[in-house]
Amino acid sequence: MKTMYACKVCHIITDKDKCPICGAPTSKKWKGYVVIFDPTRSLIAQKMSVTKAGEYALRVR
Amino acid sequence: MGEEELFERPKIFSIKTQIGKERNVAELLKGRVKKTGDKNILSILVTPELRGYVFVEAYKADEVKKMIKAISYVRGMLEGNIPVEEMEKFLTPASSVEKITEGDIVEMIAGPFKGEMAKVTHIDASKEEITVELFDSVVPIPITVKGDQVRVVRKREEG
Repeated sequence: MKTMYACKVCHIITDKDKCPICGAPTSKKWKGYVVIFDPTRSLIAQKMSVTKAGEYALRVR
Repeated sequence: MGEEELFERPKIFSIKTQIGKERNVAELLKGRVKKTGDKNILSILVTPELRGYVFVEAYKADEVKKMIKAISYVRGMLEGNIPVEEMEKFLTPASSVEKITEGDIVEMIAGPFKGEMAKVTHIDASKEEITVELFDSVVPIPITVKGDQVRVVRKREEG
């Protein structure tokens, strides 16, 4: 299975070592997994301040 | 999207899964939602604190039930729903070193020193690591381990 990384700033999960959205470094030490389909209607997305659909980690070290 | 959904708040539904397979279930469900273009499910949440459960934010329970049908590792869906506010605390998982303080007596629960007792000498909150000194070693060598590899046996005595 491919190692997945999470952005240290926006928490988006990616397979790259740099975040494709904000350009911040990523880390392979992350916990929790959230998939946001509709950030405009999702209350979880609002609580997490997520504005873009995608996969996110809850905690990144 | 139905008219009533415009005014309805989404709810959180709990799906029971095989322990350790929460992320697999979330990924399989994600694939199914994307394939069918479902508008009922808004998000999927897997929190490390609640093992054996996947939470789905959606409007209608029946449609979630239909969606999880025949997904591997799913053990069913719990009746009722959870208000989104109750899930808030799980959106920021607690650090594994949060409840440990310097001077605490801990038991190693994993790694090569499993079963040994030690005293906490330093905590690195950002890395979630702690440094301990084993009681049984002849020379006190500091060992750095992950916060989840220890269990607090006795808190430091104040004063």
